[in-house]
Amino acid sequence: MATLLQQLINGLVLGGLIALIALGYTMVYGIIQLINFAHGEVFMVGGFASLATYSYFIPESWRSDWWVALPLMALGGALVAVILAVIMERFAYRPLRNAPRLAPLITALGVSVVLKEAVRLFYPGATAPVPFPRVFVDEQYTFEIFDGTITIGSTAILMIAVSVIGAVVLQTYITKSRMGRAMRATAQDPDTARLMGVNPNRTIVLTFVIGAALAGIAGVLYGIQITNVDTEVGFLYGIFAFTAAVLGGVGSIKGAVIGGFAIGLIKSLAGQYFPGGTQYDLVWIFVLLIVVLVFRPQGLFGEPERVRA
Amino acid sequence: MTALLEVENLSVAYGAIEAVRDVSFSVEEGQIVSLIGSNGAGKTTTLRTVSGLLRPKAGDIRFDGKSIANADAHEILERGVAHCPEGRRLFGRMTVEENLHLGAYVRKDAGVAKDMARVYELFPVLGQRRQQKAGLFSGGEQQMLAIGRAMMAKPRLLMLDEPSMGLSPIMTQRIFDTIKELQSQGTTILLVEQNALAALAQSDRGYVVDLGRTTLEGPGHDLLADPRVRAAYLGED
Amino acid sequence: MNIPIGWKYLAIFIPSVLGLIGLLVLIRFAWKKGTEYVTPRPTLSRPLSIGGAALGIVAALMPWATFVLNEGAYPDKSTLQFFDSPWAVSGFRLHTLLLSLVALAVVFAPIRKHRIHKALGWSLIGIALINAAFIAGNGGGFGAITSDGSSFAFGAVIGLVAGIALVFSGKAGPVEPIPHLSTDVSRVVAYAVLVVSFTALLLGVAMMLNAGGQGGVGNPYAGPIFLSLLAFFAGVLGALHAVGVTGWISRLSDKHKWFSIVVLLAVALGLPFTEAGTDYWMTTATNIGVYAATAIGLNIVVGLAGLLDLGYVAFLGIGAFVAANFSGAAAAKMGFELPFLVAVIIAAIVAGVFGAVVGSPTLRVRGDYLAIVTLAFGEIFKKSAQNDIGGLTGGANAIPGVPPINWFGLSFDKPLEIAGVKLPSGVMYYVLIIVLVALVMVVFANLKNSRIGRSWIAIREDEDAARAMGIKTGKAKILAFLIGATLAGVAGAVFAHKTSTVAYDSFQFIESVTLLAAVILGGMGSIPGAVLGAALLLVLPEKLREFADYRLILFGFALILIMRFRPQGLVPDKHRRAELANEGAEGVPIEELNLPDDTPGGAKAQVAR
Repeated sequence: MATLLQQLINGLVLGGLIALIALGYTMVYGIIQLINFAHGEVFMVGGFASLATYSYFIPESWRSDWWVALPLMALGGALVAVILAVIMERFAYRPLRNAPRLAPLITALGVSVVLKEAVRLFYPGATAPVPFPRVFVDEQYTFEIFDGTITIGSTAILMIAVSVIGAVVLQTYITKSRMGRAMRATAQDPDTARLMGVNPNRTIVLTFVIGAALAGIAGVLYGIQITNVDTEVGFLYGIFAFTAAVLGGVGSIKGAVIGGFAIGLIKSLAGQYFPGGTQYDLVWIFVLLIVVLVFRPQGLFGEPERVRA
Repeated sequence: MTALLEVENLSVAYGAIEAVRDVSFSVEEGQIVSLIGSNGAGKTTTLRTVSGLLRPKAGDIRFDGKSIANADAHEILERGVAHCPEGRRLFGRMTVEENLHLGAYVRKDAGVAKDMARVYELFPVLGQRRQQKAGLFSGGEQQMLAIGRAMMAKPRLLMLDEPSMGLSPIMTQRIFDTIKELQSQGTTILLVEQNALAALAQSDRGYVVDLGRTTLEGPGHDLLADPRVRAAYLGED
Repeated sequence: MNIPIGWKYLAIFIPSVLGLIGLLVLIRFAWKKGTEYVTPRPTLSRPLSIGGAALGIVAALMPWATFVLNEGAYPDKSTLQFFDSPWAVSGFRLHTLLLSLVALAVVFAPIRKHRIHKALGWSLIGIALINAAFIAGNGGGFGAITSDGSSFAFGAVIGLVAGIALVFSGKAGPVEPIPHLSTDVSRVVAYAVLVVSFTALLLGVAMMLNAGGQGGVGNPYAGPIFLSLLAFFAGVLGALHAVGVTGWISRLSDKHKWFSIVVLLAVALGLPFTEAGTDYWMTTATNIGVYAATAIGLNIVVGLAGLLDLGYVAFLGIGAFVAANFSGAAAAKMGFELPFLVAVIIAAIVAGVFGAVVGSPTLRVRGDYLAIVTLAFGEIFKKSAQNDIGGLTGGANAIPGVPPINWFGLSFDKPLEIAGVKLPSGVMYYVLIIVLVALVMVVFANLKNSRIGRSWIAIREDEDAARAMGIKTGKAKILAFLIGATLAGVAGAVFAHKTSTVAYDSFQFIESVTLLAAVILGGMGSIPGAVLGAALLLVLPEKLREFADYRLILFGFALILIMRFRPQGLVPDKHRRAELANEGAEGVPIEELNLPDDTPGGAKAQVAR
């Protein structure tokens, strides 16, 4: 029982991380129908950028106070992620906006390879996982339950809190604000949105920026939770997050979050209880992805069919 | 006096295919002007070019004396040209109110709430169902919302593409009454219609577009009486 | 307080990036202005081309490097100290000289010159930039290509100027049409032309493979030598294209299809007899063949049916593992050995079945989502192989010791001697793979022009319309996956025996991307394209060992740039409406024009997504 509970908690923590990344996938796909394959790498770059902020940019005397260091690191990670996203939107994706559908997807693949390799080659020591500083308070809360104990770390709580708060803020922004309406309008019908005076380029860039900022923050959270960053995680978490976005219904904020938590739980539980254990936990996620795409391509919360009125 | 909108020798191409070859017309402030013509004559393409969705290949478009031929759609709207597109093109997954808010997207003045109330007054059915998704409405109601949405931009020139399409005669009459009322309140109207009879009857001026060219022009009633127009568009011999 | 080090780096980094961007913008601006200046002035063409050609000759006769670099003197006696007799030019300097002499001759020849001069000019620019970059970059700095103390060597700089002058001479005046040469020639002439051109192709390929030897410590300059030669060949081909010769040959070979195929096959089999007939190049050529055969299979799925597959290498892997298990290797699951041909057939069938399974979601999933489904299948395969599923893959230990193919006592990994000519080991694998690639090509070409091929193309262009026309789209799509996977399975079986160790990490995501890149680089739907793409992607890393680390990042940039500037690939398929070529309109589908006025515009485009 305690094991189950512990796995559920682990799953939620992982899920929070995946949800933060999935938000970027879902928003970009929602607005320009592009699977931004490079989004996972943006998350990875965010992790490295926050590490660089700590190692190379924050004076040593500031590093010990987490409430100074952590926000600065998050800022650094998000800033670099955002700059990258703006550059790739402007120079890789925008010129292809009217091109046939395979072109931007292949470009996204290229961008993803470039980002991963750039970090691997040029970040000192990044050919192997790089240790991440333990900047955040490192408390472990242990509870006695039924037949054993379960542990929740302070970073785990932070992770879940940030992802839930992030999603709620984003959802409010999208539904209530003027720019949010513009984003939804562009997603539904770009031409008519232009007739309303919406500048599609600005709206699309904003979508990339929000997604990248969240991915950058996810990068920091990953670092403090796992205590290292690795160039390999971009691809892997990119796939997790994409699966989450599809499961929840691409285009839906709520869907991305619930999908993220679902994927986190499945990975965690499959690793514990499914045949093959952790060696096959990825396989179960991929199987789920295929099943969802085949039987409910619109996901749990997606609109069944995109129809322009 | 210069006209509010002048289109001069406009030509627009989709790739190698020229949809509009040589269209010229002008709209005076306060008038209702209609472009009529058969399917594929280039009327819709002309409107889409005026509103900045397409770029002209040649020719000029001037609004209030200044060229808008190469301006972006949002700049053109900010200058006061609103386009209510063919097929209504509502944001079906958004509520009536959100659609109207989007219509007022470029406005920064405080009068948005007042204008929204005016739209609801003009079309009471919209006011009753303001929190419902636009996609659930009937064709006529959608057309009302589309016109209301375009009005929210407080345009000086309102371009309506086929507002009567697919509507019952009663509904068509209501739409045309509304257009007339908008004009009386000071909005200039550019109308694209296949329903030549109804359109010309309401118009101060009309232009016939055929195969991408303006072929005939004149005051609405004169065109209605023109035998060539009657033969081609009203099905009389 | 100490300022952390990062800020100091940033203070250098940001200005340098801005400076670099500024420089690029400046070059672009100057180029545009120059073009605008010369285009309306055709009289400039002649002086520019004579000047450019003369400068090119000067560049060829000048030293290119002022001093000996860290890794040794720059090749072809181009370093000042080794620069003994000016007329004994070789290598890239010879190429520069030849290109310039041709450019000069063309000035006085009664033919259309603009395109030729542009091609030759670009080739000179390429040679100059490649060598300059290597000399300056290999510890020489800018002093190495300009002057260092009292010594000077401006070869690269002059070559660059010469190239630019030639390109601009080509820009002066209107663009000329390419001459259309008639194919109404006698059979003898046609055959002779085809034999000569294919033989020239063979010699060119052999030269290229041999240029600079294989990269690495022994040959530090293999990269620039190879790339310069590539630039030279590109210039020659460009010039031939400009006079209409390449188009003519291609039309001739279309007309005499079977003869061309026979000659091409003979020529390919002739490679071991050339200077490239070494163990090393036979191995590389076999790998290219494996990738090319797989890429052609992928081309059926992506190029013909328009279904993006991001996990395709799994089928190569399945074929390889099946063959390995039936090979009698110690680690094989099956304790018995099957004859190679039987194993190949089993490998093909198993891969084909998996292909159909992977393809089955296409019944419901479309477009981008399908790409992700195939990616997921690819990852499932990798994970399963990594975990030694069912004891079939050896997991991290792989399946080592797969024996070489042995037919009639002839072991494929041994050298061979035919009529006194010694052939390198691995030549039999080369022959086998050439035959396989040829077979795959024939299968592809026949499929493409068959009923099923046409229905694939219809699906690619508009699936709903294809279905409406009565094409059984589901069946056709699964068949595309099945056939493509079968071909990959056959290639995998050869691969297993050739490499002798079959490990899961040869079949990862990045290999799938490489295969896709080969198809895209060459040109989707095009057969020569897939072979060329595979060849380039495998030969370049061999030649550019010093850039081995940068292989993948360059590869990523290449994907982005191709999609941006030449989405139809290097050898576009001429029979298809280029799916990836931008139509150049305002992004409004042409169909919209023909829609009746009462259909919402763009509705069709929406459905097609």
